[in-house]
Amino acid sequence: MLVYIVQRVLTALVTLFGMSVLIFVLLRLVPGDIVDIIFSSAGFVNPAAKVELARELGLDRPIALQYVRWLEELAEGNLGKSYRYDVPAWQVVKPRLPVTLELAILAILIAVVLGVFTGVLSAARQDSALDYALSLLSLAGLSMPSFWLGMMIILFLVSWAGWIPSMVYVSPREDLRAHLLQFVFPALAVGYRGSALIMRITRSSMLEVLGEDYIRTARAKGQREWPVIFGHALRNAILPIITVIGFEFAFMIGGLVVTETVFNLPGVARYLVDAILWRDYPVAQNLVMLIGVAVVVVNLSVDLLYGWLDPRIRYGAT
Amino acid sequence: MRKRFHRLVFCAFCSILIATTASAAQAPKHGGILNATLIEAPPSFSIHEEVTISTVWPMMPCYNNLVIFDPLKKQESLETIIPELAEKWTLQDGGKSLVFFLRKDVKWHDGQPFTSKDVKHTFDTVREAPGITAKLRVNPRQLWYENVESIDASTPDAVVFRLKRPESSLLLMLASGYSPIYPAHIPVSELRSKCVGTGPFKLKEYRQGELIEMVKNPDYFIKGRPYLDGIRYTIIKDRSTRYAALQAGRQDIPFIWEVARMPAEAAKRAVPKLVMIESSTNVNDHILVNLTKPLFKDPKLRLAITLAVDRQGYVQAGRQGAAILGGVMLPRPYGAWGLPEAEQKKIPGFGDPVKQKADAKKLLAELGYGPSKPLKIAVSTRAIPIYVDIAGYIMDQFRQVGIQSTLEQVETGVWHAKMTRREFDVAVSATGIGPDDPDANLYENFKCGSPRNYSAYCSDEVDRMIEQQSQTLERDKRLKLVNEIDKRLQLDGARMMLGWSKEYVAMWPYVKNVVPHQSIYNYGRMQEVWLDK
Amino acid sequence: MKAIRFFRQKPLGAVGGAVILALVLTATFADSLATYDPIRTDAEHTLARPTRSHWLGTDNLGRDIYSRIVYGARVSLMVGLGATLLGAALGAVIGLFSGYLGGWIDLFAQRLMEILQGLPLLILALVMSAALKPSIGNVIVAISVPIVPMAERVIRGSVLAIRELAYIEGARALGVGHFTIAMRHILPNAIGPFIVLTTAQFGSAILVEAALSFLGLGVPEPWPSWGRMLSISAAEFAQKAPWVVVFPGAAISLVVFASNLLGDALRDTLDPRLRRTHI
Repeated sequence: MLVYIVQRVLTALVTLFGMSVLIFVLLRLVPGDIVDIIFSSAGFVNPAAKVELARELGLDRPIALQYVRWLEELAEGNLGKSYRYDVPAWQVVKPRLPVTLELAILAILIAVVLGVFTGVLSAARQDSALDYALSLLSLAGLSMPSFWLGMMIILFLVSWAGWIPSMVYVSPREDLRAHLLQFVFPALAVGYRGSALIMRITRSSMLEVLGEDYIRTARAKGQREWPVIFGHALRNAILPIITVIGFEFAFMIGGLVVTETVFNLPGVARYLVDAILWRDYPVAQNLVMLIGVAVVVVNLSVDLLYGWLDPRIRYGAT
Repeated sequence: MRKRFHRLVFCAFCSILIATTASAAQAPKHGGILNATLIEAPPSFSIHEEVTISTVWPMMPCYNNLVIFDPLKKQESLETIIPELAEKWTLQDGGKSLVFFLRKDVKWHDGQPFTSKDVKHTFDTVREAPGITAKLRVNPRQLWYENVESIDASTPDAVVFRLKRPESSLLLMLASGYSPIYPAHIPVSELRSKCVGTGPFKLKEYRQGELIEMVKNPDYFIKGRPYLDGIRYTIIKDRSTRYAALQAGRQDIPFIWEVARMPAEAAKRAVPKLVMIESSTNVNDHILVNLTKPLFKDPKLRLAITLAVDRQGYVQAGRQGAAILGGVMLPRPYGAWGLPEAEQKKIPGFGDPVKQKADAKKLLAELGYGPSKPLKIAVSTRAIPIYVDIAGYIMDQFRQVGIQSTLEQVETGVWHAKMTRREFDVAVSATGIGPDDPDANLYENFKCGSPRNYSAYCSDEVDRMIEQQSQTLERDKRLKLVNEIDKRLQLDGARMMLGWSKEYVAMWPYVKNVVPHQSIYNYGRMQEVWLDK
Repeated sequence: MKAIRFFRQKPLGAVGGAVILALVLTATFADSLATYDPIRTDAEHTLARPTRSHWLGTDNLGRDIYSRIVYGARVSLMVGLGATLLGAALGAVIGLFSGYLGGWIDLFAQRLMEILQGLPLLILALVMSAALKPSIGNVIVAISVPIVPMAERVIRGSVLAIRELAYIEGARALGVGHFTIAMRHILPNAIGPFIVLTTAQFGSAILVEAALSFLGLGVPEPWPSWGRMLSISAAEFAQKAPWVVVFPGAAISLVVFASNLLGDALRDTLDPRLRRTHI
């Protein structure tokens, strides 16, 4: 077990290293750099200042050296400076992290609750009209562009209630109700999408388990149906569901980009897009790495959780 | 919901009140926070280094000018200029010295006293006077002050602008939102991420990319101003969300440069009590042709390009009717210097579209282009919906005369850099001009060598005419000259004008004293704005 | 025969298949199906409501929405199919080599795939399309990248499973070349899961294009792309002229929905592990 964990962590580190090279090179392939952008607002440019800024930001050095410098800084825990806002990158990123984290957790929660619930219901009533309706409904969620879903929610709210969630971040201490209202709609938009896959996996693994002998026995012994389903069957269907949650995570971050934009939430996902468009390398690089680490950690924990829940899986070299 | 209901009852009450007291002007109320809107984070806070309303609009409340256009008067002109940091001003030496007498009771937000040194520092920096150490990173409006010989600040409460020759435009440019006075005791570079001004509001908090919060300056030199306790500029990037926020009452006023008529009208239809004000913006849409490329050096080809585009169609399709046709200067009645309509109609491109398209085809055929060998060009534009739409329209117009074009969408960030380096064939673009003034426009956009003269147009004769009109103090004579220049620039294809966009500001009726001017750059001070709540 | 049985057993999958077929036909015969030139503007008739001459109304430039949707089918098909096939082909080649050859190559390929998988799909596509110039070809390349690791996993899995089988070793012993083995024995076995994957990815590629359009990096003008029709100025006109957004939105959702339905049905038929799902 321990050997396995060490092995997994080591490969994860290799992956992260590769990721850092990839994102570093890709970002520098994007034409134009921040110095260009800052000095492009048109006008008489002070060439000395331009050179000076490039030097200050280290953009005049060879790419390989820039890369090494970045890693050094990362190792020191220094996220560098946001070129765009002229402040330490951490200062801009820090308040945004909890926003995205909260949204992501809430969305996963909604996806799981919605997905598992409809999945179980569908499986229990296999081939009924309800089963079909729920399956179609969850597939519909997968078929809509997420920005579109968000836009529709906002348009609906404003024309139906003359109200939309706050456009400025409200901290929970300030006003808990407003805070929750601000998060629940975007989380619904993201979570609905996420629920589709979970629903389908839940349904099919439930069907498998429901066919097993011991469930039939339990039913035959006259135990009431729903306790059986939720007690026995769901416990056994939990494994594939956890796998899917891990798988969904990386996918969901992408969905957050547009949802944060539409609901005007100041999260890191939306900020990452801005950073890319502004060639704000330190912020873009570090955020991508952060997401990479999060994805790797989630996948790793899903793997370990899987093994813990199902002793049949043996940890061997992969 | 409940809040909305209260507001409704309250407004009903107000209207009764108004009805009974006839139209007696209401006394302004103090207090309240104005919820204002931005569409993007300002590139920086330093007005003197930026060319975008995204910086000017939220930063104007922090600063003061020497003089300013009266915020309550819609039409800006020499006559509507009122004192700000300067109590009064006079022209001396036969118009070659402009003397400002400054207020003595003004303090910077950090408590330092304001003196004539600050004025000298500001404009010496902008015009890059010899020997000045403070340097702007980017200096877009240096040419505005080309005629300034020196600035004399030998007494703390007066400042003298000594001119090379008489000029009537200088005062107008000093009254623009683009001409705030910077503190001499703070390095220019620090003003990119904070603001230290003398203005009615102080910067309270900047949540990068999210919110700019301004708070009332209790020591403001005009007693009883500002009325508001503060202003919150919320950055909302998505357009439909922005309008939803306005309709839902989350925002009190929209971003003033929304220009879109449709959503403003839709908002008004949904919430009938919204007030909608139509105004010009002093921003023009045009086609730029890169004159450094050999292909476009041929005037015949340029003529064909401009003839291809139906201008009335641009107004209808590109701007949903929210634009007016005009030349290089803002047309009348919004502007004071525009080419008379009859003259403008004679400019190629503004005539009968069917006949013009036939002419364009004929010209192209004469140049050897035709169905078997079509003219192929790349059209560049900013990756902003409105530009992409207009470009889509223009490209179809080109296609109708047999010009094949492909679109290059350029991200806003790299757009100006590409334009300045002339990395384009043909571009669909827009330019905003601070005050409605020939000097403010012509020097920056059309003089040989100006970095913002993107098409690289250069004519010694036109340059001479620009100098000449600037020195002409008699208005009628100057107008004639300006019209002459306007025609010349259009005929030469320096910029193929399409038209001037209009804006539709929809706001809540309790917002008082936000009066859109004919230019968007000059009325953001917010000193007189109050909330009737 | 097989097809008929598929339709009978999986009616929803068949519906999905029919919609995709309709998409292919629309894209192929766009020239004769369209009633107007899709990029022809008409300043006299902007934002016209649906009528007999403009079946689905016109957009803000007076362009016929029906014709734009018809031609947009071509763009969507190109993006969806192009990105999926490109990603799948690359993934297949890598998967085949890394599974078949094993060792260092396999180890390296696996890490590479993990790297691509660790980055969220949209972020990767976003950086890619910012790095490349916006054009339909580059959008396809950008969207295809995240598909590579998924396809690679499927193929590599099949290769690993089959490599050990006796008859492969037998064939090897008889002197059959690697290439022939790959073509004859490995690919046919992987084809089922592979089809399932590409069908599902087809829809998601179309959605990614729409999201890129929303962020300003999608397929550029003058191509009528559904994603851009839905996102660029749609928001501005949604309240005044809902048809500007409703129809392209419906087109995207319908095609993605259909590809999901078909993908599910195919999964049940072709992927034995999940046989018991019905749609």
